[in-house]
Amino acid sequence: MGKQDGRTRHVTAPGVDDSTATILHVDMDAFFASVELLDHPELIGKPVIVGHNSVRSVVTAATYEARKYGVNSAMPMALALRRCPNAIVLEPHFERYQHFSSIVFDICDQLTPKVERLGIDEAFLDVAGARAIYGSPLEVAALLRRRVFAETGLVCSVGAAASKYVAKVASGLSKPDGLLVIPADKTIEFLHPLPITALWGVGGKTAESLQHRGFSTIADIAHADRETLTRAVGEAGAVKLHNLSWGNDPRNVVERAAEKSIGHETTFEYNVLDANEIRRELLRLSGKVAARLRGAGMEASTVVLKLRFEDFSTITRSRKLPDPTDLGRTIYETVRDVYADFAREGRPVRLVGVRGEQLVEPGGGQLSLWDTTDGWRDAEQAMEAASARFGTGAIGPARLLGSQRSERPRLGQRD
Amino acid sequence: MKFQVNRDVFSEAVSFAVKLLPQRTTLPILSGVLIEATDEGLTLSSFDYEVSARTQILAEVEEPGRVLVSGKLLADIASRLPNAPVRFSTEDNKITVACGTGHFTLSSMPVEEYPSLPQISDKVGTLKADLFAAAISQVAVAASRDDVTPVITGVQLEVSENNISLVATDRYRVAVRDIEWDAGASGVEAATALVPAKTLVEVGKTFGNSGEISVAITSSDERELIAFQADKKTVTSLLIKGNFPPVRRLFPETVDNFAVMNTGELIEAVRRVSLVLEREAALRFTFTTEGVTLEAIGSEQAQASETIDAFLTGDDTVVSLKPQFLIDGLSSVHSEFVRISFTKTENPNKPGPVLITSQSSKDQPGSDNYKYLLQPNLLLR
Repeated sequence: MGKQDGRTRHVTAPGVDDSTATILHVDMDAFFASVELLDHPELIGKPVIVGHNSVRSVVTAATYEARKYGVNSAMPMALALRRCPNAIVLEPHFERYQHFSSIVFDICDQLTPKVERLGIDEAFLDVAGARAIYGSPLEVAALLRRRVFAETGLVCSVGAAASKYVAKVASGLSKPDGLLVIPADKTIEFLHPLPITALWGVGGKTAESLQHRGFSTIADIAHADRETLTRAVGEAGAVKLHNLSWGNDPRNVVERAAEKSIGHETTFEYNVLDANEIRRELLRLSGKVAARLRGAGMEASTVVLKLRFEDFSTITRSRKLPDPTDLGRTIYETVRDVYADFAREGRPVRLVGVRGEQLVEPGGGQLSLWDTTDGWRDAEQAMEAASARFGTGAIGPARLLGSQRSERPRLGQRD
Repeated sequence: MKFQVNRDVFSEAVSFAVKLLPQRTTLPILSGVLIEATDEGLTLSSFDYEVSARTQILAEVEEPGRVLVSGKLLADIASRLPNAPVRFSTEDNKITVACGTGHFTLSSMPVEEYPSLPQISDKVGTLKADLFAAAISQVAVAASRDDVTPVITGVQLEVSENNISLVATDRYRVAVRDIEWDAGASGVEAATALVPAKTLVEVGKTFGNSGEISVAITSSDERELIAFQADKKTVTSLLIKGNFPPVRRLFPETVDNFAVMNTGELIEAVRRVSLVLEREAALRFTFTTEGVTLEAIGSEQAQASETIDAFLTGDDTVVSLKPQFLIDGLSSVHSEFVRISFTKTENPNKPGPVLITSQSSKDQPGSDNYKYLLQPNLLLR
């Protein structure tokens, strides 16, 4: 949905016939940035970029104020700061996003069992069956937005329509803090004036190829000659776009299992040769993975190390643990052992990543007579409690003191 | 070198020497068997720096000598030879093995590069072979097979004045067995040795019928090794370094809640009911004065349950146990009846371990002092 800077916002007026718009698309507004603003209320209304403030870093998220300057997610930090030199850069805190994400999904789950999670901050809900308890789709959507705000202080936008595709377009157009209902019989009227980039799967190259052939709105696609369309986007693409342009999206809301893996990675500012520095980063990443595992109430059965070298060649190596874990110490010891083979090679490393896979709920497997990690568990829980109270980075492993990458947010700094 | 030897004696000696060699070795020379012929007879040895095996047999030696030959190949040949004297001779790099109508020519490996076998110091005591073999089979089953934690892949031998304890654990269960020990003239009153479980299992199989086994512990160059000797056979193994976990304190001092069952009946019931279980899943055991009910909830399609006799003392109890771990313990008590005791715990997140011990009748505890402690799982329903 283009730049999503809120300049072309549509919202629904009361009184619309919502009975046919039973599929909701919920999308948190500038999710990561908004979570950061909860801790920095003084920055509300200012352009804020979330990401590591370093040369090679990319933008993780940006507030609407920053987006108006042309700042987008995944854009190199350096470019973002050129476009918006006044932006304030905040370090990301993925544990916090995970925490708020699970609150939002819990609210969704309470409203209907048919919830399809998309990533960390989006979901489709089928609310056809919720009418008797929570009311019409519009009422459910309004209730959802109220609850999310009450329980998190965050705002989200909701689109309601007869299909997933149209609901997603609607939520995008209602941003920020909006609600847009598109009844089934108003679908065409709603879709056709929109630019072709509002079609699912049309971006970059495809959009260019279509615009080149004179297609600019969805109506153009809807009334296009099939052959021309096929030449532009291929047979399968033509069928898909044609269907979407008439609002036909037969996909149902599919409840998806919770996360399959939890991982973090770091791209170094400079290629790193020093094995100690890499081990320090592995320790830090392991701690973050463990905190997220605990936050999600899961344990990882397998730990994966990812290394990208100077020449961009990338390896991943996984190791099955004797018992599933949610402890940073155990995760670290495992990836450190796996890394030992590569440390000897002495190749400069550009990126390291740590991931927990094959997630299971704790206590499902064989328990041990004694737990060799008891002390570490207490230590990590104490650190987590201190971080929750005094802020991330308030306490951590001594080995991470003075390391290049600090957990403390660096307000307004630029390279 | 030239000798003639009895076929069965030779075959048995080769198979003993080869048995402890690893399947794969990084140094090809270590896959060889060293054959030394002297006026006293033959010595066959193997050594891979961790484990060594050495045996002496009688032979008619015409010409003394030393030769190194592929162990696996020689063992295969020796086991298939016809029933006739084996004639063994060397010329240059070729070894000739002739037996009845069979005739083999093998190339020899460079014997001068072969490492010297470890020296063994004076013995520290002796063991009854049959008891030791039984104890090894009862205990080694609980040892970990995961090389990530080397310390618990061993069986801990704890020597006291008249007693030796064998202890093994994989963190899910602990098995302990005490047997008699004769320190003899060594004067050793206390010692511990952590021996790789898979080597100890071979020692048990090899020496099970040997009468008495003498044990020596040697330390040199910061590595310690243990030697077992009987019947002119010697097995040595490096000890595993590290501290064995203090598992003894996990055993309860007294238990007043327990059930006694027929061992065979319980094993059969566990095997039957667990047929429907998915891998790694646990069985639920409900002990009441009526008996014990085993329940398995498998996939959506299958469930199973069975009730057998049990004599319960104390409260009704429900535990969830992994069937294979339970069977390992039940198969090791070597008694007609078995006692399962339920220990108490302060930890609400973890059930207390169950203790499995032998029972010669439903009222009479077994005479051996085998103990098998198993951690139950959480009750999921």
